[in-house]
Amino acid sequence: MNTIQDIQAGIVEEFAVFTDWMDKYEYLIELGKGMPLIDEKDKTDEHLIKGCQSRVWLACKPENGRLRFSADSDAIITKGIISLLLKVYDNQTPADILAANEDFIGEIGLKENLSPTRANGLVSMIATIKEYAKRYAVVTPDPDPGSEMPGQAQHDEKGLEDEIILALRQVYDPEIPVNIYDLGLIYEIQADADGVVFVKMTLTAPNCPIADEVVAQVQEAVADVPGVKEVQVDLVFEPEWTTDRMSEEAKLELGML
Amino acid sequence: MEARSQFPALDRQIYGKPLIYFDNAATAQRPRSVLELQQRMCVEANGNIHRAIHRLSADATALYEAGREAVRSFINAPARENVIFTSGTTASINLVASCFAERYLKEGDRILISEAEHHSNLVSWQLACGRHGATLEVLPVDEDGEISLNELERRLQAAEGRIKLVALTHISNVLGVINPVREVIDIAHRYAVPVLLDGAQGVVHASVDVQALNCDFYAFSGHKIYAPTGIGVLYGKRKWLDAMPPYMGGGEMIETVTFEKTTYAPLPLKYEAGTQNYVAAACMAPALELSRQMAEDPALQAAQRTMQDFLLEELRKIDGLRLYGTPRNPECKIPLFSFTVEGAFAGDLAQILDKMGIAVRSGHMCAEPLLHRYGQTSMLRASLAPYNTLAECESFVASLRRAIKMLR
Repeated sequence: MNTIQDIQAGIVEEFAVFTDWMDKYEYLIELGKGMPLIDEKDKTDEHLIKGCQSRVWLACKPENGRLRFSADSDAIITKGIISLLLKVYDNQTPADILAANEDFIGEIGLKENLSPTRANGLVSMIATIKEYAKRYAVVTPDPDPGSEMPGQAQHDEKGLEDEIILALRQVYDPEIPVNIYDLGLIYEIQADADGVVFVKMTLTAPNCPIADEVVAQVQEAVADVPGVKEVQVDLVFEPEWTTDRMSEEAKLELGML
Repeated sequence: MEARSQFPALDRQIYGKPLIYFDNAATAQRPRSVLELQQRMCVEANGNIHRAIHRLSADATALYEAGREAVRSFINAPARENVIFTSGTTASINLVASCFAERYLKEGDRILISEAEHHSNLVSWQLACGRHGATLEVLPVDEDGEISLNELERRLQAAEGRIKLVALTHISNVLGVINPVREVIDIAHRYAVPVLLDGAQGVVHASVDVQALNCDFYAFSGHKIYAPTGIGVLYGKRKWLDAMPPYMGGGEMIETVTFEKTTYAPLPLKYEAGTQNYVAAACMAPALELSRQMAEDPALQAAQRTMQDFLLEELRKIDGLRLYGTPRNPECKIPLFSFTVEGAFAGDLAQILDKMGIAVRSGHMCAEPLLHRYGQTSMLRASLAPYNTLAECESFVASLRRAIKMLR
């Protein structure tokens, strides 16, 4: 399997032979006239990305941990560029797709085609490819953007949870040089819209002599997070903590890798 | 007169080729007289208008009001009170769609527009209708791009007073067809329905006399008639401008303000809240003056006619090319050609032409419903100004043929 970088380098090399725009465009037109890049039955409104200049269709199917893309456009030059983008993104993993950029389009001298002012749907198409990759990489949905009401203070619960995690990363078991979050001591975090936070956690051993101290530190750290009104900490020893719960970084830090 | 040399932007080279600027219906280039005033005002008279006592403010105010007088005279409005400065045609139409609708539009009422409207004269009314429980009624255009006066009359009759306003383009930005606005206004007025004209293209190509037309509102932009961007005009009859509520609240639109109640400034300032684009407004004076000179120059007008006839004839010769906006009376067409070419997508053609130094417009041209009426999602448009030349037209046709060949 070729990496995204290899494929991009290949395209750049391919284009290096063209000295003027006319040759490049003729090549793109040839690509565009080539085989269909999408199944006719997938050319539906659901897959339609509208631009002022041209329309683009994009469909995505996950297959063995990789994403399969198919696409089309009513503009031939746009379709030619789509075929380059599909060469790069089709049959790659969501993580690789998210990590990739489209600099190669600039390197082959077609940068203006990806500028939003062209309104040819390519920019939205790339954004949609990344959206698909995000969707298949993680399961957390975005918060509903229309849910905010003027005059009603609201906490972005996802953002709050990230802030709480950041605070928990400042808390250490005095005997271990890794914070309690990366140690895997936090089992559950729940924050509701009123700023009430519930933390379910454990300790490395049930008979830990400084249990109260750690719990108090967690209480304090979370309570300091803006937007948090109340903190409830539930200390549990079921399920039992094991080193498997540690993050990769924590294992590395402790020389366990 | 010599027009071309007054526009420095036209001397440019694009990708090493001389620029052929055929997107004048979107934005026209600016003459030296406008550029110089713009520059001079920024240096010598950059003070906030209508407010301060100091000299800079006084000079800026005088130039701003001179811009208004130039507009008044250009469209033959009865008084300065009838001329409101806005940021452009879109803002002018939105002002009416907001204020007229607030005063007059009730549930069950209708606004009549045509099928050939720019989104500015469509979406603004859609929004207004949505807010007041009214509906949008659409007057169709035929295959050639013309509206039917009989159909207009039929609609007004059938509506039994529920149509509160006709909002019509003077000249469509896609079809380039001059609508029979005099007749439309006469018919609408027989049913006591006021008429707003979207004059974005109209003010450039038809000599507009708002009193002779007897229109109720006329909206246009500066940047299509050689002035800077960010300035526009709303002409309105006194009876409407007085009756409608103000649009935006803010500075300069007030007479006295207390926390309980504000009384508003007299026209035209009632509708000019906030700091205006006074430099661009002042530039309307030299821009409109040049526009008038070009329109009155017989040689320039003859040259423009020659270019228009040449393009019409040459485009018709191209295999698979379909023109939109072909009125039965050729006098009702401006030098603006929208078309599609079989086997060559408009966006692709525009992209190739750009590389040849030619600026044309492609896409749905802010008139999606009109394009759909002709079964299209995208068209190519070449629109001329008096500073274009026959040699440019010849080069355009040759380049277009070459681009089509590449794509087929």
